[in-house]
Formats: sequence, C-alpha cells, structure tokens
Amino acid sequence: MRGLVFSAAFFAMDLNTFFSAAVAGIGLGSMYGLTALGFFVTYAVSGTVNFAQGSTLMLGGVLAFTFGVRLGWPMWAAAPASLAVCAAWSALVEAVGVRPFARRGSESWLLATVALGLILENIVLFSFGKDPRGMPASFLTNTGFEAAGLRVTLLQVAIPLAGFGIAVALNAFVGRSAAGKAMLAVAQNRDAARLMGINVSLVVTGAFALSGVFAGIAGMLIAPLYTVSAGMGTLFGIKAYAAAILGGLGNPWGVMLAGVLLGTAESVITAGFGSTWTQMASFALVIVALAWRPHGLFGRAGVKKV
Amino acid sequence: MKSDRATLIIAALGVAAATIGAFYGNNYHLLIIGSIAVSVIVATGLNVLFGLAGQISFGHAGFFAIGAYAASILSAKAGLPFVLAALAGAALAAGAGALLALPALRVRGPYLAMVTIAFGFVIEQASAEWKGLTGGWNGFMDIPRPEWIGGPMSDRTLAIACAVLAALLLVGFARFASSRWGLAMRATRDAEVAAQSLGANLVAVRTLAFAISAAVTGFAGALFATLQGFISPESFPFFLSITFVLMVLVGGQGSASGPLLGALVVVLAPELLSSLAEYRLMFFGALLLLVLWIAPSGIAGAAAGLWARVARRAHAPSTVGADDARVERYLSHTGGAALEVRNLSVSFGGNRAVNDASLSAQPGRVTSLIGPNGAGKTTLLNLVSGFYTPEAGRVTIGTADITGAASYAAARSGVARTFQTSQLFSGMSVRDNLLVALHRGSLAGGQHQAAGDATVLTDALLAWVGYGGSAERPAGELPHVDRRLVEIARALATRPEVLLLDEPAAGLSAEDTDKLGKVLRRIAGLGLAVLIIEHDMQLVMGISDRIYVLDAGRLIAEGTAAEIQQDPGVRRAYLGEGGFAAVAARAPDSERRTEVLAVQNLTTGYGAAPVLESVSLEVREGELVALLGANGAGKSTLLRAIVGLHRPLAGSVLFAGREIGYADAHAIARAGLTLVPEGRQVFPELTVEDNLHLGAYGKQALDEERVKELFRLFPRLATLRTRRAGLLSGGEQQMLALARGLAANPRVLVLDEPSLGLAPAIVNELFGALAQLRAEGRTILLVDQMARMALSLADRAYVLSSGKIVFAGTAVELNDNPVLERAYLGGA
Repeated sequence: MRGLVFSAAFFAMDLNTFFSAAVAGIGLGSMYGLTALGFFVTYAVSGTVNFAQGSTLMLGGVLAFTFGVRLGWPMWAAAPASLAVCAAWSALVEAVGVRPFARRGSESWLLATVALGLILENIVLFSFGKDPRGMPASFLTNTGFEAAGLRVTLLQVAIPLAGFGIAVALNAFVGRSAAGKAMLAVAQNRDAARLMGINVSLVVTGAFALSGVFAGIAGMLIAPLYTVSAGMGTLFGIKAYAAAILGGLGNPWGVMLAGVLLGTAESVITAGFGSTWTQMASFALVIVALAWRPHGLFGRAGVKKV
Repeated sequence: MKSDRATLIIAALGVAAATIGAFYGNNYHLLIIGSIAVSVIVATGLNVLFGLAGQISFGHAGFFAIGAYAASILSAKAGLPFVLAALAGAALAAGAGALLALPALRVRGPYLAMVTIAFGFVIEQASAEWKGLTGGWNGFMDIPRPEWIGGPMSDRTLAIACAVLAALLLVGFARFASSRWGLAMRATRDAEVAAQSLGANLVAVRTLAFAISAAVTGFAGALFATLQGFISPESFPFFLSITFVLMVLVGGQGSASGPLLGALVVVLAPELLSSLAEYRLMFFGALLLLVLWIAPSGIAGAAAGLWARVARRAHAPSTVGADDARVERYLSHTGGAALEVRNLSVSFGGNRAVNDASLSAQPGRVTSLIGPNGAGKTTLLNLVSGFYTPEAGRVTIGTADITGAASYAAARSGVARTFQTSQLFSGMSVRDNLLVALHRGSLAGGQHQAAGDATVLTDALLAWVGYGGSAERPAGELPHVDRRLVEIARALATRPEVLLLDEPAAGLSAEDTDKLGKVLRRIAGLGLAVLIIEHDMQLVMGISDRIYVLDAGRLIAEGTAAEIQQDPGVRRAYLGEGGFAAVAARAPDSERRTEVLAVQNLTTGYGAAPVLESVSLEVREGELVALLGANGAGKSTLLRAIVGLHRPLAGSVLFAGREIGYADAHAIARAGLTLVPEGRQVFPELTVEDNLHLGAYGKQALDEERVKELFRLFPRLATLRTRRAGLLSGGEQQMLALARGLAANPRVLVLDEPSLGLAPAIVNELFGALAQLRAEGRTILLVDQMARMALSLADRAYVLSSGKIVFAGTAVELNDNPVLERAYLGGA
C-alpha cells in the first residue's frame, strides 16, 4: 500500500481526514467489490474461483495504457478492446486451468489458476517492461469539485459509480434476461439446467469471461490512482478475494458490501495509523471473521451431506 | 516396509552427495546445498499438512518466518545457544499452527486458502512493524551460528549438518506416514466421513497436522536464518509460500522422497538457468501447470506408479493370510450390547425425514430396515452413527446413551458402519485401511505396537470376510465387490458392538450377494448386533431375524420375513396397490404406431460395477410406457443414460431414428426428449414462472396462452405464479417439475419417480394429470414406485431387475404376472 496516491497523512485524524479517507475507501472498496463479483459469478455457476483474477485486473490496466497511451487510440476503442482481451484471457484460464480439473472432481484448479496468473504476469513483465508507468492526467483526474471543504476529483466519483452501476447491471442481467436466468439455473442445479437444454459448459465459459471483464474494468479504473505495472494485480487480487470470501461467495450484494467495508477499513486505518498497519489489520480481520463465520459474513451454511 | 527402505537409501545418497559437494565446492555451492536442505525440510513439513492431511496452505512462509525470527532473536539478543533457540522457534511455530488450525478447521477449499494467505501476510507485515524486535524493513543481521567443536560452525559444517537433518526428516516422514497419527491423517484426507465413522476426531487430527507441519517449517526457518546470516520481511513474501507448495506438488504429495525431488527441481532449475533468471515466474508457473496436468502425484508418485506396474508384472499378487480363529477371538462378544432407538425424530427444512421411529437391533441377530426410496432409512443410520443430531428421541448401545454424540464418539462407543457408496481411503493400501480402524481412531500411542501382530489381524479379517486379493493393493483400484468386502472388514476392525450396513448388496451379482449374506450371518453369530438397510429383498428375507419397514419417516411394520411379506401396509407402500381407478384400457393399436425412442443393448455402470446389462426397450408415438422394478434395479440409471446425464458403455439410444446415446444432455433436451428428474429438482431460488420459462429454454418462448394451458393442467400452480419454487410444498414442486417439462413441448416426456415422497391425495391428483396427458396423446416413459398405479395408466410395461429386463409386455399382462411382486418383495 506504500504506493497509495491518496493515502492520508500520518497525523491523528480529524474529521476532515476521516471523511476524505472514507470517500477514498469507498472508491477503493467498490473496486475490490467489483473484482470480487468476478469471483462470485464463477463460483456460482461452477463452484470454482479464478486465482488468476489479479492478473486479469493487471491486464486491464496494462492494455488500457498500451492501447490508449502508447498507441494513442481513443478511449472508446482502447477500453472495449482491453476488456475483450481480459474476457478472452479468463475464458482461456477456464479452459486450460479449471475445466480439466473440475471435470474429474479435483481441486487442483486452485493451483492451476495461480500458475496461469504467474505466467501472465511474467509475460507482461517482458512485453510491457519492468518500470511502472503512470497514467497521464486526464479530464477524470483534472476535473473536480469542492464539497464540504474536501477536494473530490471526477475519478473518485466515477469509480464507485462504475462499481455500483455494474453491480446493479449484473443484477438486472441475471434477473431479467434469458441468459442470466440460465446462469441462475446452472448455479442452483447443474443437472436440471442441462435437462432444460442449457449448455452448461458455455454458461461456465461465459461466467469466466464476465469475471474477466469485471476485473479488467477495475484494473482500468484504478490505473490512474496507482501506477501501471506487471505486479499491480497481485495484492489487489488477493484483497478482492478476501472481500469475496468475507462476503460469502454466494451472495453478490454481500460480496460488494464486504469489498466496500474492506476498502473503507483499509483507508481509514491507513489515515489513522499509517499505511503499514493496514495490511496486517485487514488480513487479521479476515481470519477472525472467518473463524467467527466460516461461510463469510453474509454467506449461508449449506446442509452437510453424508 | 519397502518405501521406508527406498527413502532410507535416497536420504543416504543425498547426504553423501551433499558431503562430497561441500568438500569440493566453493562458497556458492555451499549456499546451494544449504538451500536445498532447508527446502527439503520445509517441503517435508508442508507434506505432513498437504500430503498426509490433505489441507492446502498458502501461508507456510509465515511459519518459516516465525521460526527464523524467533531463533535469531533468542540467540542473538537473549544469548540462547542457537540449537535451543531453533527448537524454541519450532515450538512457537507449532503453537501458531495449532492456533491457525482453529479457524482453518471450520473452513474448507477456497475459504481455507484465504485463511492461510491472510496468515502469511499478517506474519510478513508483523515482522516489518515490530521494529524493536525484528529490525523492521532493515532486517535482522548477525544471526549466530550453532556451536560445534571449538566455536561456531563453518559454512561447510553447517551445510553438511543441514543435509543430515534433512535426510533424518525424510526418513522420519516415511515412518510417520505409516504410524497411527500418519494413518489417521491420510484417512481424513481420503474420506473424511468414513474416518470419523471409525473414531477419528477430525479436530484433533487436523490440529495435530497443522502443529507438526508448522513446527518442522519453523525449524527450517531457523536453519535458513543462520545459513543466510540476515533476514528481513522481504525474505518471506507470499510468493515463497507458493514456492513451498510447488515443491511438494512437483515432488509428489504424500510421498516421503517427494520433497527432495521437489526441492532439487525448484532450487536448482533457476540456478542452472541463471541466464534466464527473469523467466523464473514463468518457469514456476509452467512447471506447476505441467505437473497438475500430466503427473498429479508428482515425480515421486509417477515413478512409484511406474515401479508398481513393473513390480506387479514380476510378482504374483500375494493374497492375505487366513486365520479364522484369531478373527473370531477378536470379534466375539459374550452377552453383547443391543442397539436401541427410541422415538427418534429429525427434520430438514420442514420435511420430517425421520418421525418418531423406534427399533432395536439385538446382539447375535441380523435386523433389517427396509422401505421405499426416500423413506428416511439412511437418515436414521446417520442419526445413530452421529452424523446428524436428532431433535427428539434416544439412541443407546447397551447401557451407554449415545444420543447426539459426535460420529467419532459413536464409533468409540462401538458403532461401526459402511456407506451406500463405499468410502474407502482410496490413496491407502487395503491393509492400511484396516489399520486405521484398529484403535477406533485414538491418537494415543505413536507407532503401532507390535505392528507384526496388527497386520496378521488385519489380513486375517480380510480373509475372513472373503477378500481374496492383495492386502498391499491401493484401495482406490479395487473392483466393486472387493470394495464392499474391505469396507465391512474395516468396520469390523474397530471391534464394534453394532455393525450398520447401508445397502451392502447394491451392485453385487446374485452369487456375490449370496456370499455376502453368509458373511453377515457369521458376523451376527459372533454376538454382534447387525443392522442392514437393503433393497435386495431376496437377501433381506433370507438372512433377517427381524425386519422393520420405514415409509415417509415412520415405521409402518415390523416382524419376521414371512409377516412382512404378507403385510398389506407394506404391499401398499411398495407397490402402491389400489388408490387410483384404472384408466379405461386403450384400443390395442400400439403395434402400428411409429417408434420414437429405442434403447438397444445398453450397458453402463459406475466405475467397475455394471448397473445395466444389455437393456433394450422401445417407446412408440402416443404410448405411455411404464418401467418398473425394485429400488436399485437400475431404473434411474437407465433414464439418466437415455437423456445424456450418464454415458453408456455399450449399446445405443435412438431418438426419432437418430443416435443420441453419446450426445450432450442439453442437446438431447433441445431435440425434444425431456426428463423430469427424480426428486423434482426445481430451481429453488426462482419463481414458478421463471421455472416454467426455463423449461422452454432454447425453444419457442413460452407465451401467455401456453402458460395458461399448463395452469389448466395443474390448477394449484396458477395461484403460486410469483412464489419462489423453493417455498412450494413437495406436491406443488412435483407439479411444477412436470409443468416445466411440458413447457418444452417435448416429443417424449420421461418421468422419474414423480410420486416419490408425496401424500396419497397428491399422488392421486398427479396421476389424474398423467391420465389427462395420456388422453391428449402425449408420449410418456414413466418410472414410478407405485407400480400398480403406474400400470393402471400404462399401455405397455417393462420390469427391470438387477440391471436386466425380466419382463416386457402389455400392462394388462403384467398386472396378473407374479414377476412384479417378486421383483419388489422378493420371495420365490
């Protein structure tokens, strides 16, 4: 977290500091939540999670930089192109790192997706370079306004809006469209879904692609806050995973809420005690929370089958 | 043991190589030797947790750091001799491991991964923050060396010492893996539920695994610290934990020599490819993927598998040594204890699965519990053996009250059981499967006392139940019959008072069932109380002293075989006699209709056990065909094979003249063949309406008119349109499942047990709807336990028994044929 651009100062918190930390935390947290929603969708339809999600997030940031800054594409072209690659990458992870293992009931997808994340990180390290790049200032970071004595940039508003907006859109997609309902059906009863004529493997591939898009969006949005580099996704991915687990993996709003809680807690702790305590405190909280509620804060315990 | 000797040789070779390397190599070589030795130790520690206990950890760098810092601080600041400081570091790590086990035990899979990741981060960050002790990000310098004759160890001595320690740990691991603790860990890894049923206390076993694993890893951390002379938080990143996991996986999970191979590959390869140092991540990632794809059991595992194949060709498999007198001495009970179940009840989600049930199983007797599918028999067994907690009632063994006791406690009180799908510890040898059970899971005592004696007993037990194979064979490779026998022998190895068997004859041939019956009688003859759940009526009627009949959670009859066979209530429960007025017979024009569905010589099964043997049947346009047979005859498997949920091994399925036997389920559904599965399987979180629309998925969308039409057929659903399906009653869910199936407007509708678990009035309503569908000319293939009712609707019928068609003809012909009763209730 030492690179946190908007990390607050080390002095004792006054109200202003608290509020600005909270605003920053909600933004950060909504990105944890968005990335965590990716874990949620794949877990719902396939019972597996993609540990390469952090690398997908990094891919989103790196590609947005490459297309948009280095190649100078307009953002309306660079962003969708980056997301398309993120979706394809996640679908590939599913095909080579998840399906072969899930099919035979092995849990090795856990390690296989870690491995794929490492490989992508290394590839990017070579093609993109070792030095972290800063996203150039844009109207998102330049434009801003004063509210109650706080300076808020457009980006700080756009980030949580995008996070929550996508969560709402996901909810609408799943609840209203035929494809979304098919996803729900697969999540609730895989065999019965097949009997309805639903192509389950296609749905699973789709869910992974969708999770890739979420991570890609998060990667692009946080890129201006941090620097863009091959390693930018690792820790962020782990924290998003922590949010997903805390939220209970099975509950999209729980996952989103846990992300926001985690981000806010992190930001406030940073403002109050300094950035180094943040990770220790937030990870310790994760352990305690899981010891207390093994299925996450908002998860439901399943009936144990014998 | 053979693997012990192999490990000893490998370890000795390793030490020799390290010593030679240390004497002829330079400082860089010494560092490499030390690194490999430390890695071997860490990997061995992780191997206890990951390989033996089957629990993943992405946080072992945390234990490594605890050991390293504790040893450094205690020796440099407190002046403790380094060896003592290292041991203290190991102890501290063990404590942290036991503590981490608390949350880790409550979670699994992805949740466990998160807990361990978080632990690693907490330790890494704590070492950075606790500046006074650890030196923070600046690190901790001038870590002392262990003392040796005349002062601190030289680089060379230290490298050799580490190599010797690593070798000792490798050999120690091999012995540990076959010790009582090691066996218990492997058992919980392979089949958690079965291990508990033999008396293993999951909490104790896993806590122990965490603590031991952490201690070894912490000790390695101490060695690492003194080897390097300098540590900092950056020495223990998250990535290090992944490297540890990689070493264990590459070498071979659970294999004693695996950590050595893994450490060699993971430490040496990047050094040898130092010009490509930047590709390290990619190398590790690719290596990990390759191992997972090609050799999931690692290098050592692959080599062992290869060796086993060669060795087996060379030697004939040794069979187990019989010693009946020893077995009978071991098992026999004089005045044994009875199992008494009094007014037991439990419900799941509002459904009373077992309702006020009482029964007793006397010592020296075989008691049977029978009843239709879903009657609650297995639930009752789970209540007795401690897997579920009853809401009311009492369970006693002799004078001991075991009501609500945990499963391991029930096992230690003398309850042993087998499982419907046999749950052997598949990664362990047949003999080890029994050795686990010998002490009812007690962890007291390390190595098996008088191991020779124990193996004579386990082998004798195997021979006594009729197992004729090798005791050294991995249990996962056994054919079906042997799995059943070994599971019974394993249950007996706990020296139980009460033996519970859940469908022991399922999937056995008539001949094997016969042998099984004799074994069960012999067991009872030794004074044990034997309680079996079984669908094979021939077996039940042949060996039972007393029979209880359960239906919808309630006991409906008890008595001897003859009494049960004559009981009208039992006949009703099994055959669904009466209750529904037969539909007027249809003109016998079936012959002229065109065939839409044809199953030809279909053979299939699960694993080695064939469930269906060369089954043929056909369904013609507009017909209602009933497929009947007792539970376990293979009806559901046949239906699942027809609709593509289960793959046939041989034969074909033709739908409208097209081969569909090997097509995907969703493609078959779209082609117009729809199964309404057993147990309803509606989508519980979706509304009734959404469920219906999903029924028409990928077809012509359901318009309001069609929805209305479906509601006319099932009027109850009309008022529940926006209700979540999970909130519907069982009967309503069944109506919904049927309506959902019809929403696809299928050419053939296949129904699996639609009346299962429904109240009689609802069953009548359901059959009324079926009669209407038949009248409309729908083509239906119906499987239902209510045989007489199904026949009253059917044009033609087939009877399936033990995976074979034993009758094919018109419904009228079958109604008068004794073959039906025989299939359901046994008897001549």
